[in-house]
Amino acid sequence: MIYEWDFWVVLSDFDLLLLGLFNTLKITGLALVFGVPLGLLLALLRLYGNLAVRLPVGFIIEFLRTTPPIAQLFWFFFALPILIGVEINPFEASVLTFSLQSSAFFAEVFRGGIQSIDSGQWEASKALGMQRNETLRRIVLPQAVTRMIPAFLERAIELMKTTTLVSTISYADLLYQTNNIAQSTYRTIEVFTIAAAMYFVVIFACSLAVRRLEIRLARTGETLVNGRT
Amino acid sequence: MDYNWDFSSILLYKQLFWIGLQNTVILGSVCLVLGLFFGLFVGAARFSGKLWLYYPATVFVEVFRNTPVLVQIMWFFFAFPIIAPFRIDAFTAASLGLTLNTIAFSSEIYRAGLQSIAKGQWEAGKALGMSYSEQMRRVILPQSIRRMLPAFMNRAVELFKMTSLASVIAYGELVYQAKVISTIEFNPIETYTTVALVFFAVLFPMTIIVRRFETNNSVGR
Repeated sequence: MIYEWDFWVVLSDFDLLLLGLFNTLKITGLALVFGVPLGLLLALLRLYGNLAVRLPVGFIIEFLRTTPPIAQLFWFFFALPILIGVEINPFEASVLTFSLQSSAFFAEVFRGGIQSIDSGQWEASKALGMQRNETLRRIVLPQAVTRMIPAFLERAIELMKTTTLVSTISYADLLYQTNNIAQSTYRTIEVFTIAAAMYFVVIFACSLAVRRLEIRLARTGETLVNGRT
Repeated sequence: MDYNWDFSSILLYKQLFWIGLQNTVILGSVCLVLGLFFGLFVGAARFSGKLWLYYPATVFVEVFRNTPVLVQIMWFFFAFPIIAPFRIDAFTAASLGLTLNTIAFSSEIYRAGLQSIAKGQWEAGKALGMSYSEQMRRVILPQSIRRMLPAFMNRAVELFKMTSLASVIAYGELVYQAKVISTIEFNPIETYTTVALVFFAVLFPMTIIVRRFETNNSVGR
């Protein structure tokens, strides 16, 4: 089985791949912009809301976490427009899906971070006459966020990998462009391999950066946060 | 906004949903078993400290952990058959992609688990005259598997969610059946809601079990 590789045909369409990569990053970035604040909100509601708030919020978080993203994407793209009677294009459906989906994961990261803060911190703040909101804003969250940074970034990388799904509803991300080029040049194996390599370069670079940061945080962590090993 | 939900069309097609669920479970189970089995060897290769084992295993793990799984599946479905000497159907491509992905992720769990066992355990095994594989099988693995269990179960939940990606290459699992049904009946709201609920019903209990395990473990130690 001898196959003649020809990467040049594909490389002439490299600008399309770059455009796709840009769109991948755009979806990821927007999902982060909306997903992180929403995640914080969900976490606070789940932690401090009354029962009538806590239960539905908990359900939403668990539901978004345990259903496949592709089913969510199809739901928002195919089902939601019928339900609300408004056209939703692939871009909007993608941003909507991934913002909500990642917000559920971020909510759990926030919750873990907030809960990891020693209760003595709360008591000390109370002794200083701080309200709960103030304590959260000025004492707990700043400490929690430092601890959460690695988990956040890992989640963001997961998110970038998951955004490949948007190609199934014809949003022109890297995978979609790859498919298109494969169909027009018949150089399937070359273009898919190049695309995989592009994903690898971007994602691996991010992973390495996260790992390095993690080590640095772990080293400085003891001096940053008292009473933590 | 006045949409009449009509789940009767779902009941009409419950046979297809059932087939889809079976296919989801088959694909997920095959990949889970193979992934956990071979993951041990890849994890041990990275743990062994022998460079000729460490480097290839590391490259493999990093490649599969740092590329999107959908790209892996599509690579095996569209690209791989061109150089492969045999035919590849949707199931083979999906299970290749998902299995290799699971191997990569589970090998990291094995590695972390093995590292968590104190060195003295190895040395004690050695002092008793055990070979490397005996130490591993009889001393190290039984202790570390328990610590790894929650991570493996998390991985299983992730894997079952990932099997839905096989719908993209037309493997007849749940999401694919939903796609088929919704194009026939034009009821995407009901079909995709049902699919999401089915996944939730199956996977949510699993996540609860995982959480219980995690707290039990941390209390026990």
